[in-house]
Amino acid sequence: MSKSHHVEKATGVGDPQCFKGEAPAAKFKVGDKVRIRNLPDIFYTRSQMYLREAEATVVKLVYESPPAEDEAWDNTDSPEWFYSLLFKQTDLWPDYPKKFETDTLETELSERWLEGI
Amino acid sequence: MSTRENIMRHLNIVGQLQPALHQPQHAPTGDLIDNAHFRAYTRTSHDVGGEADVPITWEEKEEEIWEHNTFVTCEVLAWRGVWNAEERRRRQNVDVGQTIYLGMPYYGRWLMTIALILVDKQHVKLTELIDKIEEVKQRAKKQDGQFYDAKGHDL
Repeated sequence: MSKSHHVEKATGVGDPQCFKGEAPAAKFKVGDKVRIRNLPDIFYTRSQMYLREAEATVVKLVYESPPAEDEAWDNTDSPEWFYSLLFKQTDLWPDYPKKFETDTLETELSERWLEGI
Repeated sequence: MSTRENIMRHLNIVGQLQPALHQPQHAPTGDLIDNAHFRAYTRTSHDVGGEADVPITWEEKEEEIWEHNTFVTCEVLAWRGVWNAEERRRRQNVDVGQTIYLGMPYYGRWLMTIALILVDKQHVKLTELIDKIEEVKQRAKKQDGQFYDAKGHDL
């Protein structure tokens, strides 16, 4: 193992700021509707199971960073865009009271978890 | 079954995997595990959102000195390039497995993870660590020669 740890790159700059400009062009823009992919989740992920196959709206492109699945082993060569996504609570939970059907949930996922709809 | 129904079914199965001391499992043969249960067992133990659970009491607990020290040590290990925050989370929230994730004190997991990464990345040998723990244990004996007992509460 000769790979140097990315702390050198992040020192004085910040993380994820140190990955700015390294992701491929963003596939989605604010306002786009997306569906969360139900990818395998062995070993590590930050992508919540309860979001899989649910629909969301992109509200912000937040930063570029290696996906959590890679960064968890300090693999930082493939940063991608992270998106802030808005879900309807009634889309996520079958028993969510109709009375609160305007409730939303906002969370961040990396681009590999999204597909356009 | 729709894909969303599958997701909800997964969350229900995972809820049923909460450690149950009266139901030990003994490495069942492959034909006893279906796809849904394989996925439930191999899912990451920190992904608890949506699992069935009972209400828990909310307690505002101040952090203790050892908890602050544990946190600072983790940050120092990051500054020195031993790990990054995501690797730390993987090790303390997922690699530990469900029983330890739910069963150990929060900062207890952080502390165990510090010790393990120092061994994993060969900054400390396990024999050195064992000898050091034993040395400190002996030094910390009470005057009557007995060890201090940690007083938890019974399950």
